[in-house]
Amino acid sequence: MGWYVSSQDKSNFVACLSVAALALPGLMQTALAGRVEETYNADFQYGHYSESSSRIDVNTYEGALSAPIGKSMTASVSLVRDIVTGASPKHNELDSQGSIKQIVSGASKKALSSECGRSICDSRDGITPSVTYFFDNGSINLNGGFSRENDYTSRYVGTTISKEFNKKLTTANFGVSLAFDEINPTDRPALKGSKTSQQYLLGVSQVINKDTLLLSNVTFAHNTGYMSDPYKLVFFYDNGMFVDFRPDTRPREKFQFAWLTQYVRHFGDLNDAALHIDYRFSTDSWGVNAHTAELSWHQPVGDGWQIAPRVRYYSQDQADFYQEVGTDLQAKYYSSDYRLAGFGAVSAGLHVSKEIAGLTPLTHLKFQVGGEYYNHSASYQLGGNNAGDFADFSYYLITGSFNLRF
Amino acid sequence: MKAYYAILLITTVVLTGCTEVLPRQRGALALPQMALTPDPLEFGFRQHTAFSKEAAGGGYGGGGGGCGCN
Repeated sequence: MGWYVSSQDKSNFVACLSVAALALPGLMQTALAGRVEETYNADFQYGHYSESSSRIDVNTYEGALSAPIGKSMTASVSLVRDIVTGASPKHNELDSQGSIKQIVSGASKKALSSECGRSICDSRDGITPSVTYFFDNGSINLNGGFSRENDYTSRYVGTTISKEFNKKLTTANFGVSLAFDEINPTDRPALKGSKTSQQYLLGVSQVINKDTLLLSNVTFAHNTGYMSDPYKLVFFYDNGMFVDFRPDTRPREKFQFAWLTQYVRHFGDLNDAALHIDYRFSTDSWGVNAHTAELSWHQPVGDGWQIAPRVRYYSQDQADFYQEVGTDLQAKYYSSDYRLAGFGAVSAGLHVSKEIAGLTPLTHLKFQVGGEYYNHSASYQLGGNNAGDFADFSYYLITGSFNLRF
Repeated sequence: MKAYYAILLITTVVLTGCTEVLPRQRGALALPQMALTPDPLEFGFRQHTAFSKEAAGGGYGGGGGGCGCN
């Protein structure tokens, strides 16, 4: 795998996307527990991400292949390349009126002379192999992953065990994953570090009746190591006067607990439409409690076409050590990262698919396109927030994909 | 405590609401739109774009590591 990089100030955004590919085998596994995949599958997806104020733009290309091995195994591999350009917030500061301003990395001369003319020009390559063995009432999946970019390398291994019982109406899932990440920040060798993450999943999915499914998962994660953002700073003020700036400094340990419930309901009278409702509560030892709710309606409209509108709401409160600007030089931990602030986000999207079955020699072909608009605002936080709008932003996503089964 | 009551409520609903569903009655449950994740590739991209901009994480299957976005 090759990669090129020419970046001055870059965020960890690319690294974040790596998990997108890594998580896929697990998701598919959950959906297919106990069912042997008897066909070859090929998937390709193009995705585009664009943030407001000309901040980050990402183009992502992903390909996945899966194949049966004998009568009881399926092997798959996924490859992904992300190309990222743009700029990201570095710190907050006070202006002459005492109002908070968010400072973005993209304005320097150094940035404008970079390869792509922006402060961030980067790409990432990742690979994710996976094997699933199916037995009479369940399955075992083993997966791994490797992803690399200029300043971030990630390796992970994981397993998911699914067991069906109660006449296959109930499926229990147990998953473990371990990740080992190394960060080597561009132009900041002193901030080199590593991080270890472990996550455990316990879940149950239940057939409630012939039209209804319910899934409930809990996950527990423990992360240790370098979790600060090496490209972010905190500016400190005393009575409105600038006194110092320091690198973003966070605890080296984090526990995180999440509980997810998914409800899926079929409506036979409405041309086999399906309603999906997801709710997730998440809490961590840094003091961030978050609620995520999503609702989507999947409506077949004939001739293999399907339209699925969706809405999502997210709200989190701030981390214990978050400060809009620094006020306490004695504090052990401090961060002005907008992702650790209190805020809410509303998004809406549409997904359209067209399925063509019975093609020879292709047995199945499916095209899908999707779009989503996401709006982040401090004022959307559950229970209110008077932080002001200096960190508000929005983004949109576009995806296009096809799936071939033969 | 709220979470405890919520888990208790869901468990009660599941235990009391389940009915016998014979294999031949499970056709609707096998429809692609009834999958827990109907489009896994799009879901992965969406989920982790949001994850890179939000502090919450976990809940969904697959685990996986490799994110420095905090």
